[in-house]
Amino acid sequence: MRHRRVTLVSTGVSDMTAILPPQPAKRPDDIIRFDRVVKRFGGAQALAGASLAIKHGTIHGLVGQNGAGKSTLIKILAGLHQRDEGTIEIEGQRIGHLTPHLAETHGIHFIHQDRLLVPTFTVGEALFLGREPRLPGTPFLDRRKMQRQANETLADYFGIKLPTHALIGELSTAEKQIVQITRALLDHPKVLVFDEPTAALVRREADILFRLIRRLRDEGVTIIYISHYLNEIEELCDHVTVLRNGIDVASTPIAETSANDIARLMVERDIADMFPKRRVEFGEDLLKVKGLTAANRFSDVSFTVRRGEVLGITGLLGSGAKDLLRTLFGLERAQSGHIEVAGAADRACTPQAAVVRQIALVPEDRRGHGVALDLSVAENITLASLDRYTNLGVLNGKRERRDSDDLIKRLQIKTAGRDALVRTLSGGNQQKVAIAKWLSRHSEIYLLDEPTVGVDIGSKVEIYTLIGELAERGAGIIVLSSDLPELIGITDRILVLFRGRVTREFISSETTTDEVLAESTGASERLRHVG
Amino acid sequence: MSADIHIGDLADFKAEHSKERSARNLAAASLRFGSLIAFAVILTVFSLTAPYFLSIGNIGNVLGQSAISGVLAIGLTIVLVAGGANVVTGGIDLSLAANMGLSAAVYATVTQLGYGDPAAVAASLLTGLAIGAVNAAAVVFAGIVPLLATLAVMNVVAGLELVLTQNTVVPASTDFLTTLSASDAFGIPVLAYVLLGFTAVVTAIVQYTPLGLRLYAIGEFPDAARAAGLPLKRLLAGAFLASGLCGGIAGILSVSYLSGSTTGSSEMLLPVVVTALLGAVFSRRLVPTITGTLLSALLVGFLVNGFQLLNLSSTLVSGVQGILILIVVSATTLLRKREI
Repeated sequence: MRHRRVTLVSTGVSDMTAILPPQPAKRPDDIIRFDRVVKRFGGAQALAGASLAIKHGTIHGLVGQNGAGKSTLIKILAGLHQRDEGTIEIEGQRIGHLTPHLAETHGIHFIHQDRLLVPTFTVGEALFLGREPRLPGTPFLDRRKMQRQANETLADYFGIKLPTHALIGELSTAEKQIVQITRALLDHPKVLVFDEPTAALVRREADILFRLIRRLRDEGVTIIYISHYLNEIEELCDHVTVLRNGIDVASTPIAETSANDIARLMVERDIADMFPKRRVEFGEDLLKVKGLTAANRFSDVSFTVRRGEVLGITGLLGSGAKDLLRTLFGLERAQSGHIEVAGAADRACTPQAAVVRQIALVPEDRRGHGVALDLSVAENITLASLDRYTNLGVLNGKRERRDSDDLIKRLQIKTAGRDALVRTLSGGNQQKVAIAKWLSRHSEIYLLDEPTVGVDIGSKVEIYTLIGELAERGAGIIVLSSDLPELIGITDRILVLFRGRVTREFISSETTTDEVLAESTGASERLRHVG
Repeated sequence: MSADIHIGDLADFKAEHSKERSARNLAAASLRFGSLIAFAVILTVFSLTAPYFLSIGNIGNVLGQSAISGVLAIGLTIVLVAGGANVVTGGIDLSLAANMGLSAAVYATVTQLGYGDPAAVAASLLTGLAIGAVNAAAVVFAGIVPLLATLAVMNVVAGLELVLTQNTVVPASTDFLTTLSASDAFGIPVLAYVLLGFTAVVTAIVQYTPLGLRLYAIGEFPDAARAAGLPLKRLLAGAFLASGLCGGIAGILSVSYLSGSTTGSSEMLLPVVVTALLGAVFSRRLVPTITGTLLSALLVGFLVNGFQLLNLSSTLVSGVQGILILIVVSATTLLRKREI
């Protein structure tokens, strides 16, 4: 967190106006106003004095990178988190303790990313849960009325009819989303908050959603729209607020900005020095991927990684980037296309085969998959490469100790010693142990999934240095990361995935974070398709 | 509101999903119909081999004999509904059988002390409710997993029963108990009517009121229930209270059936759990329902009865039950996993 504050201050003068939180003049037409709201979780500051002013009857976009504070802001609005500092006004009324119930009485409703519907309910039951109609004069449910009203509302807003007896669990994702929205509409909301509503939708489903959102706006409902897809923001919203590091860095009418400008505002700059880049001569082709396709996840992906090369892959949630990495390691199946490792076709796509071929995957969820909490640091580090530490089946303790001491020192793992249990380490240090585990195993191809998430800045640089060393040793490395400055800093090339396709390939030294972000958020897609 | 938005393209993606959907429906339907058919086959086989099996008198007998376990299983079903059907982390009330034992002992003791039936009934029901309240407090407020919380309460309650009865049979015989254990003019036990009436009342509440719907919501998907503004804790606590009350009612029935309070109530526990879990298979959505539990209790009752009529060892019944539960649980688990 600390380094980010520093970066903020050192950002160019031209940005200063944007960085200082704008002081929105008090206007009565704001339905929601956040003023310098601060929220801390433990030591970390999720919101560092963010302000937000939302006008009646507009579609207000809220954007920012992961960790910028969007979800914290929305959870505070929902009454799920309480702010530490700052003021909140709703409809001109200052709110003290905001609870979920209070938010609802003010007509604020949320369409959550995960669809909160009971899977074993019928559409009618799911829609009316909590305000069920009763048969007149009895305590009993009026199921027929529920069904009728459900059908009417769905037909009115979406022009669709869902099977009367279908259960929520039997519906498609888009249908569930429609039910979720309909549920909110039954309350006649004043404010409707959409959190990444299109992440699971295909384009034409998203179009239907946009038409609905515009219609709601025209009927007087205020919309808050959170999305990573900047082209959607540009297309749909009237106004946009950009969050960065827990502060609103800009808030402008959409007419006065563009997706590219927004992308620029979302990323921070000035951290080029963090990346100890080394020049490595590329060797022969190590990994060749041709026309790799996995249904619904990604299609027709081709690329080559040479020895000594660091290839970056990035893409939003749902872009298929993560699936691609998992498929390369054999955790997920591809329908077609082929993978060639060091000239030999990789037929058996299983994790076991991948390990035999000297492919290593460092997963993102390290605490889930990466470390054994009740083993010592040293044991964890050598766990994946025990064969290197055994002589005739007996562990060579000396080498094991020497290598793990070395990695502990180089990764600056804060531990009482190599024999301390991993459980006793902090989260960031547990992550480092997980990385060390795969680094101690000398592989040919490294697949690194968000290698520096949750790791402090000093260790990040250590990890970057290690990646450089691996490349120097002739390994091929694929780094999946949503931290774009990092990606540009440590890779040689970057593939951008957008909705399952490689939309562009950048040479890292010749690109900027803005450019990559614009590509991965679809901001440039619009220009290409429309223009 | 205008209906000016006409959306043709939604039809396409619905078609994509309908194939998968119908396959799953077919599987679910075949499981449900399969179990109903199995039920019917069992009845048919028994009625062909043992002529007395399908007579009104015998059916009444089975209903009457199933009354106690039926009431307990229905109580457990309420907790399964509100706590979720995951046996390990979801709702379960292991204290039910012990609850019945203690409530019965209380009833018998109170009558031994010279009080009348109303006082004894009230004492039993209060005992049941109190046990339910302890469960509710342990699960809802202390946040202990129901499996462990009710296991602990079960031990405490069983201990109390031993203290109260000194591990002996406490006889009880009052007019009310005699009426309960009698049969009507057609030879059908009163307990059979009690079971049917009890089921009707609980079914009406759980399956046909908003309250029931909300219980399902908190059990199936607490986040959705929370988003709908439901008071989760109160509803879950209510479910444990209701199940405690069922234990009390079962206690009264058992005093009348056995003409007193006897030890060994704990043997009822596992059959009751099996009965309640088996019940889910009789519902279209593969969720626990009150009617499903009644059917399942009767299925077990008819099995035991049929085996007796055919002079087969009734120990076979528990084997058959075990196989049934394996089939049912694995089938429902597989079916429901695919929905997510």
